[in-house]
Amino acid sequence: MIAHSIFFYFFSLIAIVSAIMVTASKNTVHSVFFLILDFISISCLFIMIGAEFLGMIMLIVYVGAVAVLFLFVVMMLNVAQQKNEWFSARESSSHIPIGLLVSLVIFVELIIVVGGWKYKPELLNSISLNISSELTNTQSLGNVIYTDFIHLFQLSGMILLVAMIGAIVLTFRHRSGLKRQSYFKQISREKSDGVEIVKVKKNEGVKIDV
Amino acid sequence: MENLELIVPEIFISIAIMFLLILGVFKKNSSILVYNLATISLILLLALIYNLSSISDTSLFNESYKIDKLSNFMKFLMIISGIFVMLTSSKYLQINKLNKIEYPVLVLSSILGMMVMISSNDLIVFYMGLELQSLSLYVLASFNRENLLSTESGLKYFVLSALSSGLLLYGCSLIYGFSETTNFNIILDNSNEIQYGLIFGVVFIIVGLAFKISAVPFHMWAPDVYQGSPTSVTILFAILPKIAALTVFIRFLYVPFINMIDQWQLIIVFLSIASMIFGAVAAIGQTNLKRLVAYSSIGHMGYALAGLATGTNQGIQSSITYMSIYLVMNLAFFSCLFMLRKNDDYYEKIEDLSGLSKNHPLLAFSFLIILFSLAGIPPLAGFFAKFYVFMSVIEESMYFLAVVGLLSTVIAAFYYLRIIKIIYFDPEKHKYETNHSVGLKITLILSTLFIIVYFIYPSGLTEIVSKINVI
Repeated sequence: MIAHSIFFYFFSLIAIVSAIMVTASKNTVHSVFFLILDFISISCLFIMIGAEFLGMIMLIVYVGAVAVLFLFVVMMLNVAQQKNEWFSARESSSHIPIGLLVSLVIFVELIIVVGGWKYKPELLNSISLNISSELTNTQSLGNVIYTDFIHLFQLSGMILLVAMIGAIVLTFRHRSGLKRQSYFKQISREKSDGVEIVKVKKNEGVKIDV
Repeated sequence: MENLELIVPEIFISIAIMFLLILGVFKKNSSILVYNLATISLILLLALIYNLSSISDTSLFNESYKIDKLSNFMKFLMIISGIFVMLTSSKYLQINKLNKIEYPVLVLSSILGMMVMISSNDLIVFYMGLELQSLSLYVLASFNRENLLSTESGLKYFVLSALSSGLLLYGCSLIYGFSETTNFNIILDNSNEIQYGLIFGVVFIIVGLAFKISAVPFHMWAPDVYQGSPTSVTILFAILPKIAALTVFIRFLYVPFINMIDQWQLIIVFLSIASMIFGAVAAIGQTNLKRLVAYSSIGHMGYALAGLATGTNQGIQSSITYMSIYLVMNLAFFSCLFMLRKNDDYYEKIEDLSGLSKNHPLLAFSFLIILFSLAGIPPLAGFFAKFYVFMSVIEESMYFLAVVGLLSTVIAAFYYLRIIKIIYFDPEKHKYETNHSVGLKITLILSTLFIIVYFIYPSGLTEIVSKINVI
C-alpha cells in the first residue's frame, strides 16, 4: 500500500511539475519536451491503476503522434529562435541539456513502472477499480463500445469528420496559375491538337497563340 | 433496436451531411446546389421532428438520450431558426464569396451537435454534442479567412471555448467521481446528501455552460466574435447555440441537481443580474450594429436565466417562451441588417442607419417594430417575453431579481430608442439596394408579423410550452 502511494506521488509530482514547466518555460521546444514528459507520467499513472489500454493509447496517440507533431511544428515555424531567458543564455543550442534531462526522467519512470510490473506485480495492483482479471482492458472496452456506447462511438466519428473538414476549409488554397502535369492529357494528345498548318501571307507575320 | 424510429432525425441529418459532402466534392461548382439541398434537408428534418411530437417521453441508449416534450420543442425551435438562417444568408454568402460547399455541411453538423446536446441525459453524450457543435462553429467563425477580423474571431472563440470546455470536463469528472455515474437520473438517486465535490462539479459545469450562452462574467468573447465573423455566422451564433445551451442548462440543473437548488440558485441569480445590467450598460457606447447585438444578446440571456433561477416549472416555461420570442426578434433584426446592402457592400454601423426612413420607409418601420420589441414595449412580442419571466420570478418572491430586471430594461430601452431616433430624425445618408432574395424578404415579413400580432393570440405559444414539465 505504501509502495503504491509512493509510486503514485512520484508520478503525479512529475506530471504536475512538468505541466507547470510547459507553460513556464520560455523556449517552445522545451515546452514540448515537458509536454511529452507530462503525457508519459500520466500514462504511467493509468498503468498503475490497471488501465493499461488507456495508458498505452496515451503513449501511442499523445506521445507518438501529437507531441512529435508539435515538435515538428515548433521547429518548422522557428518559434524557438527567441532568446532563452530562463535557462542559460548561451548562443549555442540549449535544447540538448533539457532534452537529456527529460529523457532521463522518462527512462527512470519506465524502469520503475515496467520493473514493478515485472517483478512485484502485487505492489502495483489496482486499488480503486474492480476490473475482472479474466478480461483485458481492450476486450472489455470492445464489449461495450459497439453496443452500449454505439451512439457515442458514431458521434466521435462525426466530430473527427468535422475536424477534417475544418482543417481543409481553413488551410486549403486553390493556387491560380499553377500548371499541373497530367499524364493522361499528354499521352492522349493527337497530332491534330498540337499542330496547326497556317498559310503565311507575304509581309505579314503569323500570330502564334500562346 | 426497438426504439430506433425515435432517433430518425439525427440519423437523417448525419446521412445528409455525408451525402452533401460527397456530392459537393465530386460535382464541380455545386456550392449553390449543396446549399439549397441543405436547406431542404433541414425542412425535412423539421417534418421528422414534428412527426415525433406525439410520442410520450422515452429514453434511449441506457437512458442516456432522452426524447421528450422539452427536447422535441427545443429541436423544433432550433431547426426552424436554422431554416430561416439559411434562407436569409444565401445572398450574403454569394456576394462575399463564402459559398463553398463546406459551409452548409458545417452548419448541418453544428445543428446535429446541438440536437444531441438538447436530447442528452448523460454527461458524456452532452459533452460529445457540445464538442461537435463548437468544433463546427470555430470553423464557421473564421470561415472568411481572407479577413483579419474573421480569423481573429475564430481564434479567440476557439481558445476561450477550449478553456471553458476544460473547466466543464473538470466539473464532469468531479461529478463522476462523487456520484459514480454520468447518467443524470442516476446522479439524482446517488446524491442524496450534499457533498462538496458535487457542488464544485456543478459550479464548474455552470461556468462552462454560461460561457456557451455568453452570460456575464463569461461573455468576453461575444462582442469580438459577433463582430468579426461573417454576418451569416453571427446570426447563427446569436440564436442556435443559445437554444441548445439553455436546454442543457434546464436539464442539467433540474434533473440531477434539483435537490441542490439552494446551492446553485444564487449562482444563476448572480449570472442573471450581472448579464442584465452589463448587457444594458455596455451596449450604450457601441457604434457597430453586430457588437450591439452581442451586448443585447448578453442582456437577453440574463432574462432567460432569471426564469431558470426560480426553480419551478413555470420559471422554465417562461425561459423557453423567452427564448422562442428572442429568436424571432433576432431573426428579424438580422434580416434587416442583411438588407443594408449597397454595391455589394454590407453596412453594419449604426450611423449607416441615419435617415433610413426617408428612402426605405418599410425597412425603417420593421426596424422600429423590432427595436421596440427588443426593448420590451407593449403590445409587441418582446414585452410578453419579459412579462412571463417577471411573473414567474415574482411568484417565487424573488423581488430583487425582478427589480433589477425592470431597471435594466429601462436602461436598455435607451440604446434601442437611440437607434430609432437615428433612423427617423437624422439626415439621410445612404440609399440601399432593394433587390433582395425572396427568402430574406419572407423571413423579415414573417418575423415582423409574428412580433406585431403575437398579442392577439398569445396562448398559442404558451399552451404548447405549458406542456413542458421537467420536474
